[in-house]
Amino acid sequence: MTIATPASTIAIRRRRQPATPYLLLLPAVLILLVGLGYPVYWQVVTSLQEYGMMQQFGAPPTFAGLDNYARIFSDERLLPVVTRSLIFCLVNAFLTVAIGLGLALLMKAVHGAVRITMQVVLLLAWATPLVAAVTVFRWLFDYRAGVVNWLLVQIGLDQYQGYAWLAQPLTFFVVATLVIVWMSVPFVAMSLYAGLTQVSEEVLEAARLDGASPAQILRHILLPLVRPVLAIVLLLQIIWDLRVFAQIRLLQDAGAPISETNLLGNFIYELGIGSQDFSGAAAVSIFVLLLTVLLAAPYVRSLMKEDAA
Amino acid sequence: MVATGVATSLTLALALAACAPADDEGTGESGGTPEAGDITLWLAGADTNDDLRKYLVDTFAEENPGSTLTIEEQDWTDLVTKLTTALPDAANTPDVVEIGNTQAPTFTYAGAFREISPELYDELGGDKLLQSFVDAGSIDETKYALPYYYGSRYMFYRKDIWQKAGLEVPKTLEEFGDSVKELTSKKQSGFAMGGQDWRNGISWVFANDGELAVKDGDQWTSTLSDPNTVKGLEQWQDVFENASNLPATAKDEAYWDFINDGTDGGAPEGATIMAPGWARWSIGDLTKGDDGKEVRDGMADDKKFDIFALPGVDGGVAPVFAGGSNVAVSAKSQHPELAENLLRIIYSDEYQTMLAKAGLGPANTDFNKLMTVDADGNPDKFGEVAVATAEASKLTPAAPGWAAVEGASVYEELFQKIAEGGDVTALAKQYDEKLTPMLNGQAG
Repeated sequence: MTIATPASTIAIRRRRQPATPYLLLLPAVLILLVGLGYPVYWQVVTSLQEYGMMQQFGAPPTFAGLDNYARIFSDERLLPVVTRSLIFCLVNAFLTVAIGLGLALLMKAVHGAVRITMQVVLLLAWATPLVAAVTVFRWLFDYRAGVVNWLLVQIGLDQYQGYAWLAQPLTFFVVATLVIVWMSVPFVAMSLYAGLTQVSEEVLEAARLDGASPAQILRHILLPLVRPVLAIVLLLQIIWDLRVFAQIRLLQDAGAPISETNLLGNFIYELGIGSQDFSGAAAVSIFVLLLTVLLAAPYVRSLMKEDAA
Repeated sequence: MVATGVATSLTLALALAACAPADDEGTGESGGTPEAGDITLWLAGADTNDDLRKYLVDTFAEENPGSTLTIEEQDWTDLVTKLTTALPDAANTPDVVEIGNTQAPTFTYAGAFREISPELYDELGGDKLLQSFVDAGSIDETKYALPYYYGSRYMFYRKDIWQKAGLEVPKTLEEFGDSVKELTSKKQSGFAMGGQDWRNGISWVFANDGELAVKDGDQWTSTLSDPNTVKGLEQWQDVFENASNLPATAKDEAYWDFINDGTDGGAPEGATIMAPGWARWSIGDLTKGDDGKEVRDGMADDKKFDIFALPGVDGGVAPVFAGGSNVAVSAKSQHPELAENLLRIIYSDEYQTMLAKAGLGPANTDFNKLMTVDADGNPDKFGEVAVATAEASKLTPAAPGWAAVEGASVYEELFQKIAEGGDVTALAKQYDEKLTPMLNGQAG
């Protein structure tokens, strides 16, 4: 009975077809069209043209068809950048969510005062402006005056005297991962903690009475119950970590092998802003857009299914 | 609500109307006094000091009644980005811009600048202007961007350390290499230099008569594989590997920190560095400035700190990278006559004198001699070395795609790989193939 009522109201409304819902939708659609539609349209058009410095200064662009895409996909730089970006994105996203989940569980388990301290600390980390955070990490890992090298030497690892962390791609990405995970964990931890507080105490008590171990409670009760939150933060992390740009760029400025540490965002920047190859940059951007859709599609579908259920 | 709507569309219409004619203004000359207006000058970095800025603003207002000059400072790091987006936009373009000399060719070829007529060119100094910089802003005989100031690099060294090791100021490039290698230990770089620092590294190429690229007809070819270039690169590789403890990826370090004493008077980390002339003010012993803050004394102790010009292969002075910048009028400027009046002030005797006194190499070479004396007319070693190195200095290729090469950090990468001990001949071949299309402005 209770289920049938909303369904029948919807059915009645559909028959009347009032204009109000559409009017209410209009502002949002307009904003999306102006704010997103136009740049995407421009991006698509540019990617089909020959558009460089001359065109930027008024020369009429010529239509190039799919030439830019052909050029970009035959570019030997693209494949390593895509592979690197995907690995980096997935490692960072899963690492962030795993650590975030750990912190959320910890927050649920500890005493009130400790929890508030943790929340404040997390919020402070989250509120730190990006440039400031990366600068701090650059100083921590500085090859001459960095605290990290000093500590490692103090505990007897002399090979870290003057060790340049950013000089090799692998250690570069270790530092980059630290920065990015450090900056994104608070959001994940807070969201998951909020999700965990919604799990009713009775269910947990019942499980404990039945003799479930903490690991079993986590696996069979907590995780299924916060699954929607978990799925959405993971999705957001994947999208965010795929388009990471500024952190890498700022670390590269401290002296790094640039072409071996470029991710997709940096590659687009290098093409477009650095080399004034705007059409090539547009083509890569469209490719990244499709890649993001491809990565996100399964999640969005399962989320929608859950919503419908 | 309705009223604001109307007002907004009115303003919009007016703004559009105001922009429209600017597009086809082009090179139209109009006689008489230009219409009063406000013009904007973009300066890059803080090199143009406050006195110079004030002089420009005041003189411009005085000579152009009713008009004003606004100076906006841009960061060197994103100058190319800002110019790329602002210059084509008539409504937002700065009227006059300073641009790095190596970035000038790209914008000149793209048609970003207004032509400087032969008459105006002669009026501003003509052949007396630093010609290598004029070439960077010209297409054949047509001038678009003129020199603003130049600066070149020379060596700053710890005289006390060099003397203790029994070493004299080197006479040849090879002797320099041998000396700095001898001064190198685990804790001290004989010559503190980062591996990616190609702007210093190319001095070794130029000194060996090598070129980065040459123009044949209207095509540029990267010439890293030229035997002279390879020789220079190998010599630089040897110096880096045996005299610098810095990482191969380091660039644009605060090199002066390396030859200053360490904290609490500890030994410096380097014996020699290569830097532009203004680095002097970051070197020396600590002293209290006028405002009571701790500053370096500008190498006051000449038994401890001194300078020399990088010696050439057979003695003399090695050609070093000529740093500096150009100025140009935006092609889309809405007040081109006023902008040209500003150029007249910049190239006036007074302003050129002020530039030279401020330690910036003046665009008009007649004023070079002012740099070699101090305020009391006594010879000044810093000015003398600056002029000597500037005279021997050399620009990077004025190719249309040069800004793209810099933007993609190609030379940083090449020099890093050489610094890591890579095979120079193989790397030169590989990067020639990569650079030639880029230099000619072909994407990718």
